[in-house]
Amino acid sequence: MKNEGLIGVFKYLDDLVNALEVLRKQELKIQTVYSPVPSHEILETLGVKASPVRYFTLIGAMLGIATGVGLAIYTAMQWKFIVSGKPPVPRVPYVIVAFEFCILLGVFWNLASMWVKSRLPKFRVPPSYDPRFSRDRFGVVVLCSEPDREKVKGILTQAGAEEVHAANG
Amino acid sequence: MQGITYGEIDDKILATLSPPGKLYYLMLAGCATGILIGLACWGYQIATGLGVAGILHPVMWGTYLINFVFWVGIAHSGTLISAILYLFKARWRTPLARSAEAMTVFAVSTAGLFPLIHLGRVWIVYWILPYPNQRNLWPNFQSPLVFDVIAISTYLTVSLLFWYTGLIPDLATVRDRASGIRRKIYGILSLGWTGSDREWNHHGTAYLLFAALATPLVISVHSVVSWDFALGIAPGWHSTIFAPYFVAGAIHSGLAMVLTLLIPLRRIFKLENILTMHIFENVAKTIVFTGLIMGYSYLTESFISWYSGNATEWAIFHWRATGPYAFLFWMMVAFNSIAPLAFFFKWARSNIAPLLVISILINIGMWYERYIIILSSPAHEFDPYSWGMYFGPTWVEYGIMLGSFSLFSFLFLLFAKFIPSVSMSELKEDIPPPMRG
Repeated sequence: MKNEGLIGVFKYLDDLVNALEVLRKQELKIQTVYSPVPSHEILETLGVKASPVRYFTLIGAMLGIATGVGLAIYTAMQWKFIVSGKPPVPRVPYVIVAFEFCILLGVFWNLASMWVKSRLPKFRVPPSYDPRFSRDRFGVVVLCSEPDREKVKGILTQAGAEEVHAANG
Repeated sequence: MQGITYGEIDDKILATLSPPGKLYYLMLAGCATGILIGLACWGYQIATGLGVAGILHPVMWGTYLINFVFWVGIAHSGTLISAILYLFKARWRTPLARSAEAMTVFAVSTAGLFPLIHLGRVWIVYWILPYPNQRNLWPNFQSPLVFDVIAISTYLTVSLLFWYTGLIPDLATVRDRASGIRRKIYGILSLGWTGSDREWNHHGTAYLLFAALATPLVISVHSVVSWDFALGIAPGWHSTIFAPYFVAGAIHSGLAMVLTLLIPLRRIFKLENILTMHIFENVAKTIVFTGLIMGYSYLTESFISWYSGNATEWAIFHWRATGPYAFLFWMMVAFNSIAPLAFFFKWARSNIAPLLVISILINIGMWYERYIIILSSPAHEFDPYSWGMYFGPTWVEYGIMLGSFSLFSFLFLLFAKFIPSVSMSELKEDIPPPMRG
């Protein structure tokens, strides 16, 4: 049976959250929720897990430390100059190099993982997207088969959706 | 911002992107002329040699290094407002953050030009980068100048990416209201952002981590800049107080620059109900705090030089306060640590005229602080035989300085017309969401 989407457009956040609760209780598949602002209420209702971006950032930061220290030591060991009897590989100055590389690579990994996990960049916005979602409206896209369409439409309308229509336009 | 809706926020901010008037183009043309003058002076210096700048032994760092430190300092308040105040959840920062971040990016870009300008043979600047070469020569990672290259380039990269990441949702808002070629350009820049739950979830975490990484970075950058001086043994420079002293000074000058830029911006774009007096008052209170740190640093620095019993150290401080730089020294003290005390009074914090005047005084004072620090120490080192003065700036230095201020203003003017100067998505976050119940 063909799966088609319905989209509900909401003016009020609490109406949207109520709709999401009912949809989840009835085990209907919520594909996407659009909102003009980040909303903890939406993420909590959807049961979205904490973003793994933080782990990637940590990996990047640690790689940065290794890169900074590694580069500094490698270059110092090429000639092994001893100045004033000091060891050619000092510890204190290399902390600064390690720190800066830590931040730089941490940020690169942070950004790259955000893009990958958010599936950015998108070359065109999905057909279900409505420009009002970047202004002052909320939207939910529900995947449903033909027999469920009326039920989903009823849930969204009852929750307070301003409009409900097919997600592909 | 009570009673304002999401839609009204968009309308108000997007109105700033409407086609500009004649005055805007006139200002843009003025800045472009200044940039061309700066470029011509730099070209002349490259063709003729560094002698055309007023840099002579023993003062080998003239206005180029002063401007470098000045612009890096200006950059700092952007990160303070966007990252540090974000972590502290200071909500008054939101309307300021975008412009302050832009200021950071443009100021670091301008600052980064000065070490290049100060090079005699700028075309071999890549020698400072660690790249494999047939002579197996590498930069010295123990040198504060190499720390500087790494710190400033990291700061520029991180500031730019932090700014851009915060911009993505707003660029999508502009895209959705634009048409034709503008829609295409903003569509590419917004990366196809839709504001889905998945995007907001990862964006929120990434932005928070950006702020967490940028906070120690901003402190490290001006500390590293201060070590350009403090790791040298010249009297007046060789001091452990330099890192915190420079960081506080950077934030002090940056906050003043925020006021200097945003007061006219607020008036031109009629943003009075978004950039409220309450916000400026909070900036003024922070300036009182940083101004007190500056005053304390000046006192401590002088006290330590006397208390240490080090004759050359005391001599330089005595010379700064009573010698040929005395006028500039006392002007620096008055502008940076005494003028901001006016902000203890509410009338000064809540009126545009004193806010603007004091912010400009601080900008001047902080520029001259770098002048005093950078020029006086090498001029008055240990051996009286090698004492000397800096006899600049020459017309070439003035031209390049004009070019740098013009470049910064040019970039800021373009920013104000092509990018939302206040973050719409963050402003929306700060007001209660639309609720039926």
